[in-house]
Amino acid sequence: MFADFSRGDDCLFEINQKDQQPLPPPFDDIDEEPLFRRLTEEAKKKYVLLDDTIAVNIPKPETQEEEAQLVNSFLSGLRRLVSREDNWTFLEPLMISLEHCAKCQTCSEGCHIYEESGRHPYYRPSYRSEILRRIYFKYLKNSSTWVHGDIELNWKTVARLIELSYRCNLCRRCAQSCPIGVDNALLAREIRKVASQEMGIVPKELHDSGSMLQLKVGSSTGMNAIVARDNVEFIDEDTTDRTGIAVETPWDKEGADILLIHNAGEIMAWPENPGGFALLFSAAGLSWTMSSDLAAYDGINYGVWYDDFQFARTALLHLEAARKLKVKKIVIGECGHAHKALSVIADKVVTGDLNIPRESGINVLRDIVREGRVKFDKSRNDFPVTLHDPCNLVRLMGIVSPQREIIEAIVPKERFREMEPHGVENYCCGGGSGFAIMSGHNFAHWRHHVSGRRKLRQVLEAFQGEVMDMEHPKYVCAPCSNCKGQLRDIIAYYDAWERAGIYYGGLVELMVNAMVDAQPGYIDWEWH
Amino acid sequence: MADFVVGDITLDIDEDGFIQQPEAWNEAIAKALAKTEGVDELTEAHWKVVNYLRDYYLEFGIAPMIRKLCKSTGFKLKEIYELFPSGPAKGACKVAGLPKPTGCV
Repeated sequence: MFADFSRGDDCLFEINQKDQQPLPPPFDDIDEEPLFRRLTEEAKKKYVLLDDTIAVNIPKPETQEEEAQLVNSFLSGLRRLVSREDNWTFLEPLMISLEHCAKCQTCSEGCHIYEESGRHPYYRPSYRSEILRRIYFKYLKNSSTWVHGDIELNWKTVARLIELSYRCNLCRRCAQSCPIGVDNALLAREIRKVASQEMGIVPKELHDSGSMLQLKVGSSTGMNAIVARDNVEFIDEDTTDRTGIAVETPWDKEGADILLIHNAGEIMAWPENPGGFALLFSAAGLSWTMSSDLAAYDGINYGVWYDDFQFARTALLHLEAARKLKVKKIVIGECGHAHKALSVIADKVVTGDLNIPRESGINVLRDIVREGRVKFDKSRNDFPVTLHDPCNLVRLMGIVSPQREIIEAIVPKERFREMEPHGVENYCCGGGSGFAIMSGHNFAHWRHHVSGRRKLRQVLEAFQGEVMDMEHPKYVCAPCSNCKGQLRDIIAYYDAWERAGIYYGGLVELMVNAMVDAQPGYIDWEWH
Repeated sequence: MADFVVGDITLDIDEDGFIQQPEAWNEAIAKALAKTEGVDELTEAHWKVVNYLRDYYLEFGIAPMIRKLCKSTGFKLKEIYELFPSGPAKGACKVAGLPKPTGCV
């Protein structure tokens, strides 16, 4: 299996739908599932092939020089990766994971991608890591291949390994299950990092129209500050109309307690979410503001998925905006990756007065509920509700009970059902690490058939026993933009709204829907 | 990147079928793009959506919020999905010759 990785031009394997476990009812007939769309012949000719989809678009090298360039630049990047001067951010966890593995395969059992693919061995979290590990021991350390295993390093090995690093949601469920603490997701990200920082190889959605666009105009959505403010003004008016409570988002208010940073995708695609935050924060009497500084109205930081430099640039913009406004803290809206970037990883790059406190919006909302600042009538949410836990909230940060305390106050007890497993044991939505916004070639099909399949399974399982049709709407509460994007796409792909009445949305939407002072009907159940 | 030929114009389209030269867009291109979306005929309702998207894009350089699109055209989201089965972002924007929406949308 390790030898094959460096040989041949074709896909090493394909997804066979017959190998996959059927979903729960009403999607249990595997023969009726939509068909996985294969790669086109044109794409197969042009790009490096791994499985049966393409995330990164690495062109097949045309000359021996190009082939050598792939290998040499990867090796030079790998050397930097293991040096303290060039990788002080992640060196320690990297080395622990790179130099150790008990080969017990416990991690595979924890991985939704491996499990739902029909248990394809190339998707084991340990397989990708093992290739990197063997390259490291053989080519950097000159260690014995008899001890550490052999691998042939050629352009195919490098290109396929980079492509394989984009078959991992970076959810770190495998790391949680590893008895010796190896973090395969971290290794996947470090491979992406070498590809980006050393080789300039990266999916365009994440870099060109992601990080670069955010650093240039202020948001990966393409919104500059004028458009963002105009859109938020529209949302304020819309929220006022829909709830009967006047809402006005404060901008650039110096000395406010809180700088609220949303994922700007919410403004564009899920306006009820920033609208709900504005309503609840104002109703609760919080002192808060948004910022129109470059990137400060968009909490996304795609660098967390692939590049430390882009990560640091964006994080600094967020923190500088907060320092300028002299706020007491930054509060992060419903975006898991923004939580990871700003709450956790930013600690590795900021010091002094830039190290401004950051807090999850979920905790702030929980405090609003706990302190009774807003009154809720849970009978307004009289429909089945399940809760999706975004990986970065639960597994990375341990935010598990605040969202449940809120749910308890706004949803009738008999209407709420947990997914199994949930909390820190949750499964990724399938869109993590950038996948939710990647859909080149047939990659969206791969998301729907492989990486997102476990979450769809969990959602369906949570609602078993309910009448599965559109007349009986059910709510998947997903407090994260990225997770919402993935859920929206997979619900549409399987017609889960039409066939099972499955709808999705964030947490504040559910709160406003139960808010006593607001007109009823904030959630409009209109499919989107 | 592949070629997309309409009459005597050749455009680049990306892997998702979005044209890469939004400035070259015209009605004939819209009709041809609509066919790639499974829309055989562009009705008055389709044009209302397409023209709004186009005008907004020319003014602001990006696609409008979906809710603005609904409010301005008077169509419910469901109706927009009926007009453009891939939805407002991936379907209607494509026909209107806008670049593929970016970011977490």
